[in-house]
Amino acid sequence: MKDRTISTRSGMVTRRTLMMGATAGVAALAMPKVLRAQDNPTLVTSIRSLSNPYHAVWKTGAEAYAKAVGLEHVTLVSEGNSEKGIADIKAMLAKTGGNMVLNSDPNDTPDARPIVEACAKAGAYVVTQWNKPPDLHPKDFNPNYVSHIEFDGISSGKTIAEILFKTIGGKGGIVALGGLISTTAAIERKKGLDEALAANPDIKLLDFQVANWKSTEAFDLMGNLLTRFGDDIKGIWAANDDMGSGALEALRAENLAGKVPIVGVDGIKTAVDAVRTGEFACTVTSDPFWQGGMGLAIGYNAKIGKFDPTKEPPEHREFYGKAVLISRDNVEEYYKTNVEAQPTVDWNDLWGRVTGAIRT
Amino acid sequence: MTISTEPLKSVSDIERTTLMTLLPGRIAALFGGRRWRSLAPLAVLIALCVLITIANPNFIELRNLVRVANSAAVPLTLAMGLTFIILMGSIDLSVEGTLSVAAMVVVLLAANDSNGNDYGWLAVLAAIAAGTAMGLVSGLVQTVLRIPSFMATLGMWFIGLGLSVYMLGGSAIRLNDASIRELALTRLLGLPLAVWVAAGAFLVAAIIQYYTRLGRHILAIGGDEDVAKLSGVNVARVRVTAFALAGFFFGIAGVLAAAQLGQSHAVIGDGRLFAAVTAVVVGGTALTGGEGGVVNTLIGVLIVTVLANGMILLGISPYIQQTVQGLMIIAAVALSLDRMRLKIVK
Repeated sequence: MKDRTISTRSGMVTRRTLMMGATAGVAALAMPKVLRAQDNPTLVTSIRSLSNPYHAVWKTGAEAYAKAVGLEHVTLVSEGNSEKGIADIKAMLAKTGGNMVLNSDPNDTPDARPIVEACAKAGAYVVTQWNKPPDLHPKDFNPNYVSHIEFDGISSGKTIAEILFKTIGGKGGIVALGGLISTTAAIERKKGLDEALAANPDIKLLDFQVANWKSTEAFDLMGNLLTRFGDDIKGIWAANDDMGSGALEALRAENLAGKVPIVGVDGIKTAVDAVRTGEFACTVTSDPFWQGGMGLAIGYNAKIGKFDPTKEPPEHREFYGKAVLISRDNVEEYYKTNVEAQPTVDWNDLWGRVTGAIRT
Repeated sequence: MTISTEPLKSVSDIERTTLMTLLPGRIAALFGGRRWRSLAPLAVLIALCVLITIANPNFIELRNLVRVANSAAVPLTLAMGLTFIILMGSIDLSVEGTLSVAAMVVVLLAANDSNGNDYGWLAVLAAIAAGTAMGLVSGLVQTVLRIPSFMATLGMWFIGLGLSVYMLGGSAIRLNDASIRELALTRLLGLPLAVWVAAGAFLVAAIIQYYTRLGRHILAIGGDEDVAKLSGVNVARVRVTAFALAGFFFGIAGVLAAAQLGQSHAVIGDGRLFAAVTAVVVGGTALTGGEGGVVNTLIGVLIVTVLANGMILLGISPYIQQTVQGLMIIAAVALSLDRMRLKIVK
């Protein structure tokens, strides 16, 4: 409550404070670059929002890395607004005179280009994650655009499917809940499921339904699927944990929770808890803590000359990161090290989670 | 006013005779016109049930009927509130916002995995109060600031949504209070408690509509606001009360949704507005107001729920389910109202 009162008040900017702020800003911009270039670089994280748990953990990872190397760290939040995201980064470039390392999760695919161009022009080092246009490549902006990191939806969909199949003993019927039909993640994860199904002919996909990433829709859908297939359903594959948790509640209403295993993607807390209680068989996560810290680590090491981006192989410039699997085997350990305490990552192991170059 | 409507009426009479030759009009005339039409939604519901049962006998199993009742619980409670608003000829778009506020309040005040609160059933009361308050504000904005219900409630939708995003920090928060979760998990006479709550909401709504002055005034305003005003109905007061009443039902629905899902997140209401409006309209309540009622809405909710259940039972591809839903809406609405009596179709 206290925070809110303050933020409402600070929203009321008088003309005088605005003028003073603007003057100070112009003065800061006018300061010669050389003065600040000798300082340590600033680490900058640019993310979409702090109100979702994913990016909140991302920021924790970034701060942990900044603390480990003893540098100043700034978080920029775009609040889902591409223009704000780009403008904030440009302001930061101007403020640091280009002496910074940026780890960015661009709000939207096209945003990556202006962000990279601005960084290259100012001499800053940048790592992007998840979103970039297919024709934008780190090698075209040597040495400033160090790397781009994504996570392979096909392999996530396939991994969880295989674990589900193993949990139900290699044969029987399953139902699948897909994400919003048009999204890349939904298409890729379903492709992974299809590949796993092709390799396991004894598993029968009873039905594939779309619950649009939402637990509410998955809840209603699962009830109807139970009517149609009843006890033939031996397992449930969900393209994300939220839908998986909706399906779990539908099972619970029928006293089936824990008897029909569920798998999902994302590693949200509900799913991790469900893996612990045995209601989920597994979930996978891209590990935002690692993404937040390692993005900065790769950029910073390039900047201080630990490695030369131009001499790195292509699979270090544009790569799929290794998703972390949380299954019944390792969930207690994961819970202890990631949920109850802050995870520890070896920040010097820059390429340890590279699983291969991004498909084009 | 009278002068200008007279010529209009005669024009529509001419149109009516020409259009009567068209199919729906003819079918209606065949079965005795208006009386048959008021039963059309019920006929659609029965036809649907029969067709689905023929295609997949599992439908008629007790277990499945319980499931249908369970998934109808939240939409029915929501649609009860919305019926009064649509009967007045207004619209309430704040369904999703109000529902998510109520779900947020109940989860944050009852035992949860984010803070130390544990107020038990007081949290439920607070959630329903929050829903009612949201409705009250919608009504006041509309009558005091004279902003149309469409805009006023659109605003409230986003205010509610923003509030829940802020309070929940954008994440899903689990509801750990066992007694509230029992709403979804405990069964009485084979039906989950949520279904009984929804049935109770229906009874309350029916009593309000058929046995109270408020119910009759709402219908009168929907029929013709000017006439209602001239007859001494305090239109502003009835409007504010009706919106608060709608908020009350949305609040109950929010509690049920949170209990069913065992968690609350800001988008818990997603898609509920469309489902509720569809149910009300498919049931035969006119968007223009003054016609229909809560019994129609009950049938409308059942049509929509049975259809969703049936499409899964029939194994209809998810890629075309929405198309079927759209077709059903148009068909049900075309059958249920005497379109030919409408002077203007906007």
